[in-house]
Amino acid sequence: MEFLASMAIGVGIFVILASSFNLIIGHGGLMSIAHPIFFALGGYGSALLARDLGLGVPPAILLGALVAGAASVALSLPALRVSGDYLVIASIGFQLGLLQIIKNLDWTGGAGGLANIRPLFATYTIDTKLAYVAVVGVLAVATVLAVRGLVAGPYGRAITAMRDDEEAFRSLGRNATAIKVTLFAIGSMFAGLAGALYAHYYLYLSPEQFEILYSAAMLTMVVVGGVRTTWGPALGALLLQVLPQAINFLKLPTALTGPLQGIIFTGLVLFFLFTRPQGLLGTRWSPPARPEDDDDAPPAGDIMPPKTGVP
Amino acid sequence: MTTALEVRGLTKRFGGIVVAESIAARFEAGRIVGLIGPNGAGKSSFFNLVTGVVPADAGAVLINGTDATRLPMHARARLGVARTWQHVRLFASLTVLENLMIAPRRYHAETPLALVAPGRHETERRLRERAMAQLEKVRMVDFAQRRPGELSFGKQRLISLARALMNDGNVLLLDEPMAGVEGPAYEAIKALVRAEAAGGRAVCIVEHNISFVRDLCDSALFMFQGRILRAGTVSELIASPELTELYFGT
Repeated sequence: MEFLASMAIGVGIFVILASSFNLIIGHGGLMSIAHPIFFALGGYGSALLARDLGLGVPPAILLGALVAGAASVALSLPALRVSGDYLVIASIGFQLGLLQIIKNLDWTGGAGGLANIRPLFATYTIDTKLAYVAVVGVLAVATVLAVRGLVAGPYGRAITAMRDDEEAFRSLGRNATAIKVTLFAIGSMFAGLAGALYAHYYLYLSPEQFEILYSAAMLTMVVVGGVRTTWGPALGALLLQVLPQAINFLKLPTALTGPLQGIIFTGLVLFFLFTRPQGLLGTRWSPPARPEDDDDAPPAGDIMPPKTGVP
Repeated sequence: MTTALEVRGLTKRFGGIVVAESIAARFEAGRIVGLIGPNGAGKSSFFNLVTGVVPADAGAVLINGTDATRLPMHARARLGVARTWQHVRLFASLTVLENLMIAPRRYHAETPLALVAPGRHETERRLRERAMAQLEKVRMVDFAQRRPGELSFGKQRLISLARALMNDGNVLLLDEPMAGVEGPAYEAIKALVRAEAAGGRAVCIVEHNISFVRDLCDSALFMFQGRILRAGTVSELIASPELTELYFGT
């Protein structure tokens, strides 16, 4: 039972991470691989606010999420003002640099990790564990619904248009930079929320849990479940959290299970990209409809002046 | 007459290629000006400099008297500059109606706060009505729920014109509005552009279809190698053997 509760919490946390990553890379079309560092900032932020500054755990969780969202602006604002392409490179630097700082500061616990984090519930019984499952579950569903609400309706229309053709979008008077920075901040805030929930359950944070490689795991969840679908990333998170655990039950030698998990992750991404790029929940991809026969126009590109107009 | 758009000494070079060399021009509200010249003369680049797609090396852009030279693209659009593109550039994932609904000068959902703003449903309804009215003008109402990719190039042109007209500002830049358009749509566009000018917009048209330019434009500018070589009526310009030679490269 305890094992199941822990697994459910792990799934819930990754549902939040995958959904918010889907918002950034899927809906926003913003190529970033810094999602793990915002996961870390939320975790460390919340843990330190509660442990060293004596804040209550619930407000610390909220503030931890806000810390991650605010920190994202420091990355996205300068990068996105130049061009979308810079975000990828800037995000690599941000991810590696900040994690290096966390590993070398005393008050974050350095490379040894941060221990003695205050729990959300004072006692650790099976009841409080189940209560934690409920809290994470509610917040995970709330995240999925918040992302859906954001990308539907008039704001979602703007996000879609921006992704389709940013220059044409700007020429209509729309501030694409503001939309990108906002989307990135909201996505990062949810990653921070996931980090804070992680910290106050496991009560220990190690910098290794936030390495750049985890953005590959999150990307796998989004791709397998379905980019730009509502529940796809959640399904991806569930599958990719549960499958590796199932392998553990096979009682294979540990020398095998480690590499096997990596192979399965990579294999899944390749399998899906080749056979089902829309993911499990995506609607079937079809090539754009052929334009109807031009009844009112000569072939595109025929821009010679008509006979009568030539001097 | 009020000057809606003015450029002074507008200059732009890409390496050794001069796309604009000290261009100075005024565009008055209510007047239609043709911008003609051979391919590569810098006509589309002129639109890109005015709208802020590319920053100018030197010179100034004034939109309704406001210096917009240092302003980003979206701010210039909000000052009242609407444009179409040579390659149409509709949003492929949106319906035709949504393509128009995203295009007013002031959009109510620039931030997620709009999702909880009071009166948002009413705002959406009014916006939809405005977009449908614009589609009505180009007779594209029947295609409101279709995706642009399903429609003919000529229809996409008409829709892109309607999208530009969602900006109620007084500067309208049309980049080859007639390319790919013939038949009844041809006359419809002509009438529409005339009506927009009569409504107080300064219109500037880049167009290779000389008869269209002659029918519609009050005056024209002849561009060559990033310069405005001559200004005058369309008939004057096309009567000049020298310009005709430059145009056709004979």
